[in-house]
Amino acid sequence: MTGGQSLSGRTRRHLKIDGWTLGTAAISLAVMLPILAVILLAFSPGDDIWGHLSSTVLPLYVANTVQLMIGVGCGTFLIGVGGAWLVTMYRFPGKAVFEWALLLPMAMPAYVIAYVYTDILEYAGPVQGALRDLFGWTSVRQYWFPEIRSLGGAISMMTLVLYPYVYLLSRAAFLEQSVGVLEASRVLGRNQWQSFYSVALPLARPAIVIGISLVLMETLNDFGTVDFFAVYTLTLGIFDVWMNMSNIAGAAQLASLMLLFVIALVLVERFSRHNKWFHQTTSTYKDLPGYELVGMKGWLALFVCSFPVLLGFIFPSGVLLTYAVTHFDRAVNAVVLESAGNSLLLSGTAAVIAVLVAIFMAYGVRIKGGRALKVLTRLASMGYAVPGSVLAVGVIAVLASLDNTIDDFMRQNFGFSTGLMFSGTIAAVIFAYLVRFLALSFGTVEASLTKITPSMDGAARTLGHGAFSTLRRVHMPLMRTSILTAAMLVFVDGMKELPLTIILRPFNFQTLATYVHQFASDEQLGEASLAALTIVGTGIVPVILLSYVIRKSRPGQETR
Amino acid sequence: MKGLLIHGVCHAFGDNKVLDKVAVVVPAGELVCLLGPSGCGKSTLLRIAAGLEVLQEGSVVIDEVTVASNTVHVEPQDRRIGFMFQDYALFPHLTVLDNVTFGMKYLPPEKAKARAMDMLAQVGMTDQISKPPHMLSGGQQQRVALARALAPEPKLLLLDEPFSGLDTNMRARIREETLGVLKECGVATLMVTHDPEEAMFMADRIKILGRDGKILQAARPHEIYYHPKHEFVAKLFGLMNRFDGVVDNARVETPLGSVAAPDMAEGLKVQVLIRPEGIVLASSENANGTPLELLSTHLLGHDNVVRLRLASGQKGEIYVRVHHAFEPELAMGIKAKIDPDYAFVFPVEAGQ
Repeated sequence: MTGGQSLSGRTRRHLKIDGWTLGTAAISLAVMLPILAVILLAFSPGDDIWGHLSSTVLPLYVANTVQLMIGVGCGTFLIGVGGAWLVTMYRFPGKAVFEWALLLPMAMPAYVIAYVYTDILEYAGPVQGALRDLFGWTSVRQYWFPEIRSLGGAISMMTLVLYPYVYLLSRAAFLEQSVGVLEASRVLGRNQWQSFYSVALPLARPAIVIGISLVLMETLNDFGTVDFFAVYTLTLGIFDVWMNMSNIAGAAQLASLMLLFVIALVLVERFSRHNKWFHQTTSTYKDLPGYELVGMKGWLALFVCSFPVLLGFIFPSGVLLTYAVTHFDRAVNAVVLESAGNSLLLSGTAAVIAVLVAIFMAYGVRIKGGRALKVLTRLASMGYAVPGSVLAVGVIAVLASLDNTIDDFMRQNFGFSTGLMFSGTIAAVIFAYLVRFLALSFGTVEASLTKITPSMDGAARTLGHGAFSTLRRVHMPLMRTSILTAAMLVFVDGMKELPLTIILRPFNFQTLATYVHQFASDEQLGEASLAALTIVGTGIVPVILLSYVIRKSRPGQETR
Repeated sequence: MKGLLIHGVCHAFGDNKVLDKVAVVVPAGELVCLLGPSGCGKSTLLRIAAGLEVLQEGSVVIDEVTVASNTVHVEPQDRRIGFMFQDYALFPHLTVLDNVTFGMKYLPPEKAKARAMDMLAQVGMTDQISKPPHMLSGGQQQRVALARALAPEPKLLLLDEPFSGLDTNMRARIREETLGVLKECGVATLMVTHDPEEAMFMADRIKILGRDGKILQAARPHEIYYHPKHEFVAKLFGLMNRFDGVVDNARVETPLGSVAAPDMAEGLKVQVLIRPEGIVLASSENANGTPLELLSTHLLGHDNVVRLRLASGQKGEIYVRVHHAFEPELAMGIKAKIDPDYAFVFPVEAGQ
């Protein structure tokens, strides 16, 4: 056996520019353009408000953003890693349920629980009302109650719905660890806790770091929560400078600053992925010990695990459900139905295109190989890290200059104006979704394609089938589940998407997410309840799938 | 000429040269084995012949048509070849029958099916045709892979370590069956293996590829075993006894007697390699030969490996293979001679 296992002509003497490379180059260029446009725009001369910004609101934006990231990072670490360790290593009442239930809050967009908790916890809400009745208080000055619409509130909301990323990755890492190293640690005199701390945790560290970087990317992306809570982070700053001060260059400057945060996160994540696989020194995959937690300890574990599930999913869904039932007449109306149709259209189209593009790129890399293609696909999947607000600025800038170019050209050559062809259209929103979610579909499709041994390709080729026929008759059927998964992931994220849609949508065009945002921020949660539940309901599908996958992920239990 | 003609093929992965001016000729009806250590580029040569790897230098001709050269690259799907992969590469989403018909899209479906059934009958798999591959045993998968490769009536069959996935008992049987099927088809076959015994069993001719990507010897199996042209070839078949010496009067002296060294320069430093079965032991009082001391004997089944050392106390162990239970009456009275058919003389290369 030699190193020549790829199907590529990587040893070709002449670099051939073929359709695969060209197509992939075009795709990655399209993804990169909005990001480049932001940077370009930020450095373009114009009414420079940087000086003004940095002397006024900028320190606040940065401070809030950093505090939010630290808070959410710590919170998701504690809940995610703690929960993962409990359910992988111990047996206690309800463990089998928590294994998948801990993933449930993933289905809940942060802005949705922000609306729910505000509704419950604000001055006019039932909790404070009940307290006032109970103690006979009559005014806000007579007692102290935590203000939900605050930085702390935002940290709590995001922690509650984002910790499953950390849970998912650290659980997978714990499951992958050979029980042998833990037993060795025990035999060498460490107790369970010390073994966790000195063996399991360091081994899982790369996975945990990846989880937290993903959480922080989502934190930066969030618009709904910080907008509603009026926590002035960089994201909200971009909206503020752009919408209220009508200063797109200033918004681009803030966006570029935000890109620095993102680049740092991407580097941390990539570095950890690179180091993810500690070489397993033993190959014994026995069942994990599953220490029984008896008595108080068992109940304590039950309490610890149910806390995030209850607060992050069950309670808010319950509230929404109650509203949907009590306000059914107002929750179902023509606008909601139309919004649902629009959401389906946008997310569905984006999902289909994202999957087709992903198959094209992944198969191109497989049959052509080469560094150039690999790098291009990496660039094309950069968008997932870029916050929606930043991307929106970039997409607007790119489409505006495209529109202007076409318009100028048509006017000069044909004497009529085309006006704005792309800006403010559905196509613009779908394009932005693609830029942001391509990594999801590409990652999924590529992972499943890599699992197919290259000799499959060789067998099909020597049996008389060309590249396309092989893709259609061998790879596509083998990847069917992954292709569906990829489409579903993009679809669900599209359904939840808020910042991009708000900025880029056509005038008066509502999706479920923008509808929820509009009514819930107006404190009309009743009207928004059904729409919000629909978003949560679609979000449940990948959670079910993930919980199924994670249960099969233990290497020793894998069967062909 | 019908069959495969590979000429002057050189191939490198980066700086690592795996094939160096390799030439292979496989006439129709013949089976040629490419034997070499793992990592020596023999699989790469198969992939080049199939078109799965793009040729860098040289040429590949199948049935008098050039399919790869500096200017030509015929895609693998257009070469009409059969390829059997080490891991069989059966399509997991297709049944046994669909796997076998996969390569016959040029035939109408009924004809393809009939041909597939013929092939499956030939390998004895007709009762499993609607099963998915993962429900078959290793040996059954191997048979289906063979049927799939042969069904489209290829001009050339390429086998990449076709028996390495099978356990030892199964291997011998499947090897025999496969050879039978191949001889019946009369297709030109190039097979790659790292197992000398397998090559000896299957091949009409053997090509030995060294670590540097050069062909070291090409000959019939008998020739390879009894007249190795290279130290590396001699050592392929397992442990050798080695004695160093100097050529003197076209002979080399060893502790077990002298060995002929024709065509070697006088005074050249050489090594004498003797196969374990090339040392003849005698334990009777009046036998002649060099006296040896017995260290231990190991019964392996049909063979017996005997470890000895020189009675003179000289360092080093001597390994002898005998075909009967070896129970010498006198541990001290063993004497040994060299069977010249199994002794080979090679120059000592620098650094050894």
